[in-house]
Amino acid sequence: MTRSIRWLVLGLVFSLVACGQETTPPPAATAPGAPPPVSAPTPFGIGSIQLGSQIGADKRVLAAAESFAPSDTIYASIATQGEAQRVVLAARWSYEDGQTVAESSETVASAGPTVVEFHVAKPDGLPAGRYRVDVTANGAPAGTREFEVR
Amino acid sequence: MSRFSDFLKSAVGGAKAAPARPKADFSNVQAGSSQAPIEKEEEVYAVVAGDNLSKIANRLYGNANQWKRIFEANRDQIKDPDLIQPGWKLRIPRP
Repeated sequence: MTRSIRWLVLGLVFSLVACGQETTPPPAATAPGAPPPVSAPTPFGIGSIQLGSQIGADKRVLAAAESFAPSDTIYASIATQGEAQRVVLAARWSYEDGQTVAESSETVASAGPTVVEFHVAKPDGLPAGRYRVDVTANGAPAGTREFEVR
Repeated sequence: MSRFSDFLKSAVGGAKAAPARPKADFSNVQAGSSQAPIEKEEEVYAVVAGDNLSKIANRLYGNANQWKRIFEANRDQIKDPDLIQPGWKLRIPRP
């Protein structure tokens, strides 16, 4: 009898202690039709380099080419994607003998995809021969294209 | 010995070097750069309280009957076109 009373008291004490403890709140109810989670921003990336002698208002080359006339303006168009806080794209144009023809850079700070164009021309005509354009992003190689002037 | 040195002279100096090609001149090259953002195919609209697809279509397209375009573009999110919730981000195709 006394044993059963003891168990009863013990049970009572346990239940009192349990009631006194803070219960963890249930997970917040999700409202029906709650908005889907917003996806993380797309990381910055660089597409391939397109060469041409004409570009549109969107800075893309109108017709891809690898061979140009000396009087042409040569465009290298590069599409970027994702968010860029501050990315410096640079183009180095060089001739077949290793000579640097020209260098220029463009800082991209965009919340979305962008097209960057670099161009080179020479009023009295570019010398015939093989050329290349090397593109870097914040100093790291981002792509190379070779072309010919004849 | 003299025959050997003659041979060396003829081998080294005898062969006439090809005339050096004049270095290409790039002194007046004009270079530059520019950029343009890529136009998005669609915009995003955040639903507010009181919105419905017809109202949004009327506001954005000027025609409430265009609600179906918004519905079709958001079929993954909208199950019932009569039921959209504040806070939803809807894709709005360009007109």
